[in-house]
Amino acid sequence: MAELVVGYSLELGEGEILRIDGSDTAAPLVVAVHDAALAAGAHVYTNVSLEGLAELLVRRGSEEQLTYVSPMQWEEIELIDAMVTIWSEINTRSFSLADPGRHGRYIAARRGLSNRFWDRIGAGEARWCGTLYPTHGHAQDAEMSLADYEDFVYAACHVRHGEDPVAHWRGVSAELGARAEALADVSELRIVGPDTDLVLGVAGRTWIAADGKINLPDGEVFTSPIEEATAGDIRFTFPAIFNGHEVEDVRLRFEGGRVVAAEASRGGDYLRALLELDDEASLLGEVAFGLNYEIDRFTRNILFDEKIGGTIHVALGAGFPEAGGKNRSGLHWDLICDLRSDGEVYADGELIWRAGKFLAPVEPVAGAAGVRG
Amino acid sequence: MNASIAPVVPPRIERPLERLAEVLVDYSTRVRRDDVVVLAAPSLAGPLVREVYEAILRAGAHPLPRLGLDGLGEALLGRGSEEQLAWVNPVRKWELERADVYMSILADWNTKSLSAIEPERQAIVARAQDELRARFLERAAAGEVRWVLTAFPTHAAAQDAEMSLEEYGDFVYRAALLDHERPADRWRELGERLKRVADFLSARKELRIVADGTDLRLRTEGRTWVPSDGHENFPDGEVFTGPIETSLEGTIAFTYPAVFQRREVEDVRLRFEGGEVVEASARRGQDFLEEMIGMDDGARRAGEFAFGLNEGISIFTRNTLFDEKIGGTAHLALGQSYPETGGKNRSALHWDMICDLRAGSEVYADGELVYRDGSFLESALG
Repeated sequence: MAELVVGYSLELGEGEILRIDGSDTAAPLVVAVHDAALAAGAHVYTNVSLEGLAELLVRRGSEEQLTYVSPMQWEEIELIDAMVTIWSEINTRSFSLADPGRHGRYIAARRGLSNRFWDRIGAGEARWCGTLYPTHGHAQDAEMSLADYEDFVYAACHVRHGEDPVAHWRGVSAELGARAEALADVSELRIVGPDTDLVLGVAGRTWIAADGKINLPDGEVFTSPIEEATAGDIRFTFPAIFNGHEVEDVRLRFEGGRVVAAEASRGGDYLRALLELDDEASLLGEVAFGLNYEIDRFTRNILFDEKIGGTIHVALGAGFPEAGGKNRSGLHWDLICDLRSDGEVYADGELIWRAGKFLAPVEPVAGAAGVRG
Repeated sequence: MNASIAPVVPPRIERPLERLAEVLVDYSTRVRRDDVVVLAAPSLAGPLVREVYEAILRAGAHPLPRLGLDGLGEALLGRGSEEQLAWVNPVRKWELERADVYMSILADWNTKSLSAIEPERQAIVARAQDELRARFLERAAAGEVRWVLTAFPTHAAAQDAEMSLEEYGDFVYRAALLDHERPADRWRELGERLKRVADFLSARKELRIVADGTDLRLRTEGRTWVPSDGHENFPDGEVFTGPIETSLEGTIAFTYPAVFQRREVEDVRLRFEGGEVVEASARRGQDFLEEMIGMDDGARRAGEFAFGLNEGISIFTRNTLFDEKIGGTAHLALGQSYPETGGKNRSALHWDMICDLRAGSEVYADGELVYRDGSFLESALG
């Protein structure tokens, strides 16, 4: 796993500076990535958090402490060539009772740092990869034992014993790249499924292959749809999760790109509150095909769920500039629609996807990968 | 006579980590509102880090935790290229340059995990970091940064001390005077006693230390003896100075193993001429000893001489933070001196070596007997 992150995802070179972000819970993977980076000749250091400290700050810190960002952190963002973030929560709900305003200000104060780093990534000055170290907390969310969850994670990343992960992800990159090229000529997508018949405009937008560079696991092609073109209904069979809140059985109706009706069997108030977060929160910023068929179940973690092979997801809120997206919002909320048993997608009237699979194969092209924002 | 046999154990120390955190934040480093406090610790010290973090928040300051993980240090030292070993992370430099307070917590998973590392690789790291360390000590001497080094009890440290973890925890907390309701008050009292010794020694010009295998003269005229009362080390309890670099003459035999970078050298004997080590021998670890004192020019000279005066520490536990404060010992450090003493020695090395003076010793100050068998003579202190 560590070699895949360092050698393939980040392509770390000699003398480059890598920062590993993780918590003490992820120690085995942090140490392994550190080892792999040393072997690559990089200058590597860690930014390790201790489980519980952020909760303590949000709960007990003064307003100044809550929003304090050291000038050193700003300089650090300019210094590093690459960053890997290892998620490994011991308890995925440890902020559930936190004051939402305080938690929000804590996050908002640090958002500038990550925005600046994304700018540097966009300018080709830095690279980032986000991945996960299996914990009981994540396994519990997935309703699995830790051992089963580890199998699930490593299968999704193709790093199981006897596999050649780099060869696999190069293959994925070529295939998804070809898929993105094939979708480039499409003007209109129509998604049809149970309680779902949604039309999206994608003319002139860029489809991007998410091929294990920025996320591990990965496996989707995505774009930002034309903001005002979305029309029709969609029903999301998987619970939609945002900041640890679950909203079940979300149904949305779009007119002229905008959500005009929103319902949920549970969490409807939260759903409507998010839609009203700002003016563009009720427009779509993303539509994507999940194409990692090793991920075959919902695990309450967007890193995996949005890539479930055979699903489609759309995101309310911010779009991706590199895909041509123009939507700006404080929200980016992925909602996932299972189309594996009963779903169809039409491209300019032609059926291209049924029951979770593209109908026509593509000829893989090397080096066609895009960037995921 | 009662038939039941009650085990003999000292009373439990209440809330030791909470008390330790309070003393570190309120007494040792006097953390104030808006201070930037770097908190460097291995993740193994998590329980203490959480308490300290909370105490820093209560003080209105900004804690910046820097956590180490088991294996990172060994990986770099064991497998890093020369460029990687010598790399100075600018982030660490900024921290040392800008922190208002720097707290380091020692906690080992295994105190011997660097045993297989070649000494010259450690020396590369030490030399590369030397400039940072020197600059940090300068800032500390100028009062721009307050710092403290402390320890969190672990199995590894307990094993080195040949105790159970519970017993070792008691040892650490008692050495830190946490078995009192208001530990900070006890540290102020101890500070008064240390100051009396430091003032006395600062008025003297020359010391002669005589013990089994030891007869060493050194001059301290014009140098400052500093009472070390829990502000930079915790626990603490010593008075130290930087002797005049060229003044050491004679021999010294260190009764305890000399531990540096977690390596032990046994039965070290040094002979000084004109302030320089001209003969260095050890029963075990001779190569390491020679490698370290050959590190640079300053490594052959003494940067510190000190008396351990913490009566709460009476046994050797293979951890310099505690050992050098054992009541009734003296220690000498080869290498870097502390600027606040007036010491001028510069080196990437600072290696404390400890001599037990409790079982037969005499110390003369300007020819007058002032210390015998581990204690200053009340009559001499006046």
